[in-house]
Amino acid sequence: MAGLVLKDVRKTYGEVTALKNIDLVFPSGKLTALLGPSGCGKTTLLRIIAGLETPTRGNLSLNGEDITTLPANRRKFGMVFQSFALFPHLSVGENVAYSLTISGVEKKTRSKRAQELLDLVQMADFQDRRIGQLSGGQRQRVAIARALAQEPQVFLLDEPMSALDAQLRETMQVELRLLQQQLNITTIVVTHDQREAMTMADEIVVMSNGVSEQIGSPTDIYQRPETPFVASFIGKANFLDGTVRGGRVFVGDSAFDLEKPAPFVDGSPVQLVCRPENAELCAADTNASNILTGPVSFVRDVGPTREVFVETDAGRIICEMPSSDATPVTQGEVTGIRLKSHTLFCFPRPDPGNLEKTVEEAGRRENVAA
Amino acid sequence: MKATFKNGFMLLCAAYISLPIVIVCLSALNGGRSMLFPPKDPTFARFYEFFVSEPVWLRSMENSIIVALASATLAVLITWPIAYDQWKRNTAFSKALTGLAGLPFALPPIVFGVGLSFLWTFAGGLGNIFTGILSHTALLAALPLVTISIGLQSIDRFHLDAAQTMGADEPTILRTIILPQTLSYTLSGFFFVVVLSFHEFIVIFFVSASAYSTVTLQIFNSLRNGFTPTMAVGAITFLLVSIVVFSAVARYGDLPRLLGADPARKDN
Amino acid sequence: MSDLAAASSLVHARDGTRLKGQEGPRADAVQSIGARPIIMTVIAAFLVFVFLAPILLVIAVSFGEKIEGASWVWAFDPSNYARVFVGIGWPDQITLLYAYKLGYTLAYAVLGSLIAIAFAFPFTYFLSQCSRPAQAAWLVFILASLSMSEVFIVMGWDIMLSNRSGLPALFKATGVTAWLKDTGWLAVLKDWGLANPRNVKFKTSQLATVLTMAYLVWPYAVILLYAPLSRIDRSMIEAARTMGAGSFTVMRTVVVPVVRIPVMGTLLLLFVYLLGAYVTVTYFAEPAHQTLPVSIYEAIRGATLNAPFGAAQAVVLLSTAGVFILASLWLGRLAENRGR
Repeated sequence: MAGLVLKDVRKTYGEVTALKNIDLVFPSGKLTALLGPSGCGKTTLLRIIAGLETPTRGNLSLNGEDITTLPANRRKFGMVFQSFALFPHLSVGENVAYSLTISGVEKKTRSKRAQELLDLVQMADFQDRRIGQLSGGQRQRVAIARALAQEPQVFLLDEPMSALDAQLRETMQVELRLLQQQLNITTIVVTHDQREAMTMADEIVVMSNGVSEQIGSPTDIYQRPETPFVASFIGKANFLDGTVRGGRVFVGDSAFDLEKPAPFVDGSPVQLVCRPENAELCAADTNASNILTGPVSFVRDVGPTREVFVETDAGRIICEMPSSDATPVTQGEVTGIRLKSHTLFCFPRPDPGNLEKTVEEAGRRENVAA
Repeated sequence: MKATFKNGFMLLCAAYISLPIVIVCLSALNGGRSMLFPPKDPTFARFYEFFVSEPVWLRSMENSIIVALASATLAVLITWPIAYDQWKRNTAFSKALTGLAGLPFALPPIVFGVGLSFLWTFAGGLGNIFTGILSHTALLAALPLVTISIGLQSIDRFHLDAAQTMGADEPTILRTIILPQTLSYTLSGFFFVVVLSFHEFIVIFFVSASAYSTVTLQIFNSLRNGFTPTMAVGAITFLLVSIVVFSAVARYGDLPRLLGADPARKDN
Repeated sequence: MSDLAAASSLVHARDGTRLKGQEGPRADAVQSIGARPIIMTVIAAFLVFVFLAPILLVIAVSFGEKIEGASWVWAFDPSNYARVFVGIGWPDQITLLYAYKLGYTLAYAVLGSLIAIAFAFPFTYFLSQCSRPAQAAWLVFILASLSMSEVFIVMGWDIMLSNRSGLPALFKATGVTAWLKDTGWLAVLKDWGLANPRNVKFKTSQLATVLTMAYLVWPYAVILLYAPLSRIDRSMIEAARTMGAGSFTVMRTVVVPVVRIPVMGTLLLLFVYLLGAYVTVTYFAEPAHQTLPVSIYEAIRGATLNAPFGAAQAVVLLSTAGVFILASLWLGRLAENRGR
């Protein structure tokens, strides 16, 4: 099979499981983002792909060839580290040419190649600078050039933007994406920032707790989350506890129709998820379906959108609407909220307190992995 | 606390520390054979004696330099693999070697000197300059061991990962990343040994068995007869060497870090 | 090291083609794996022979037996130790000559290291607040004075304290001596052994011995205290200040408690270092107040020539040092655990 394929990859540190049964395909020439909260195992997975860690079980293959036991220095996947890991004892040019130097490429060829790469990342005039003289953004460009110098089959980036300030981050995300498309290189980016993943990736792998929760395009993942975790981690979401009866979901006395009848037997406890921008204010009408009512507890205008907090019997619902066509509401006023049926997702309800536990475990794993 | 009090106290300490050293230096100018302060009939004749006309000092100087450079080289060569092994593998064996290498420096030198004199008596070689070199190597190996270990610990582990993803295997990483990045620490350790070997006398006294002497030992041997201004020239020479060496370490290495300051706090 | 480097450059004499993980298994990798045990074994053997054997030999010889008018023979004779603690005539009579020497050794070392710490602590605290370049400059100065041989330092103090030049001459020239005579302080000083009928006298005196010892380890104290003091979290001090603590209160309630353990550790190390002081004692202490190192020297190479007895004294000194070194290591570990 073309591309990088992970089969049943598992990683444990003593008692702690960092990754369980990861099956993934990274298609050639595409940019895949591994997205998840800190400690979800995404960096461990990237290090296993690079060959810096060996999986406890499972195997990796690249274009049909098994590379599970191939050490990192023979895989030669270019990698950009969170701290960039540029060598301070070498100049910018020498850093970029490092992989060529150690494999014995002659000086002329390698300095020509280094210059080409520095041109590519718009650092043409920096070949002789010391690393200490560079700013964060410049360092990142050099780190990218250095990782590409060996013409890697797979290009890995571990939280590449986290050392940059917010403004530069946005610019670099676009630049990196354009560069990747230009080179058409199989790329894997680890990030905890959903916006970053959505900006750059062809495909996003959402990870939590050592497993991949969902794989899909950015729009897929946002509009059709497959688990409550994905729904809550990607974008904002309102959660409502309900019960299925006859394909409809009942939250308290209110009935909700979905796009298709909910695929659960009657009486199943479920969770109903609705994005704030899909909840709209309407007249309070307790008899109509897909409507909840309650008093407005808080209103805030955040630039292009307005958010209205409504305290319904089923809990707080946040509605988001464009500021331009916001209906005037006042705090304390009772209002209805309509949740459009085609925007509702329905998941089996997890055990109470499960999510908190997940986060706790994830934090512990992070410590071990570090 | 008031800045003036702070500075005043520090300068007072500096003065207190410099005073005897300055006095030694100035008494080298004495015209006569006795150490007087302030110097009588100031002259530079003692420098001429020390460096040119009295072969005993020249010979001692030569021995001092041979012992210092050779033992510093040996100490670095021995401690590098120990420090590297300890850093890389951290086994019980490497821990034991590290402890053993640092042991002599922690003991009263007279005890170690006595032990070495027994050793070279039984093994042969007492009074040979080669055993003097080995003895100083053993006594002072702790210094490069510490500086090299600090150097190795200061390497960012991600640098090693990065080198690996670019195709470097262990020996290549050692050659292209670890050795260059720890060079200043290694040199610091080397020069610490050179300087302390210059000034050491008790161990070299026991193992030289009066067959040869270094400058410091020569002065130590003349102790009973009192100091002379020519000896002060030796003190000045070594003081200058120390200042040059430590300034170089401060200039090219990170001296505060070597001595344990928080590496992250660069500006305060 | 050179062997390792050579091995690594050998390994890397490979062709210039650029590969992507396609190289065959490399025989040279095996070679570098084979070099490590050989290098480490050679080094271990060297360490055992030159680093460890001397210490073991001292212990072995200390049980030897001195032959009158000749050298000595191997034996298992604990009488050398008995002689150190209770004298050669024991059990008929007890001579505490060497026990006193041990006592003086400990007393000088304790006083010297305490005085050194007392002055080094504030100095180092101020030093750690200087700018980084200023710190480096100070450290060069400290290291240069630290590396000065005991021989040279005693040389300087000898001139400063000698009766012909230095302090006594200065006292006389400035009239301080005359003033001391008039006020009767000279008589008091004479009782303390610090004056003769004509002038003050510092050589030989225990005061001079202890002060020179303190001087000897002062730079060591600064170097050892530098690490913990410069690692103190600055914001902690600032926090105390915002809560109304003055400089002295900050020192007393924040700095000292935080570095209490490293200070104790430093004290122990200075103490161990001073146990071995030799030139200072021979120069500034009168024979009756001299220490074990001096008598070890006499026994091994000096007038008395009794190697087993010298070795026994060395073992006593070694054990004393060993106990305190272990204590300082334990304190070090304690401090590390507290730091977590």
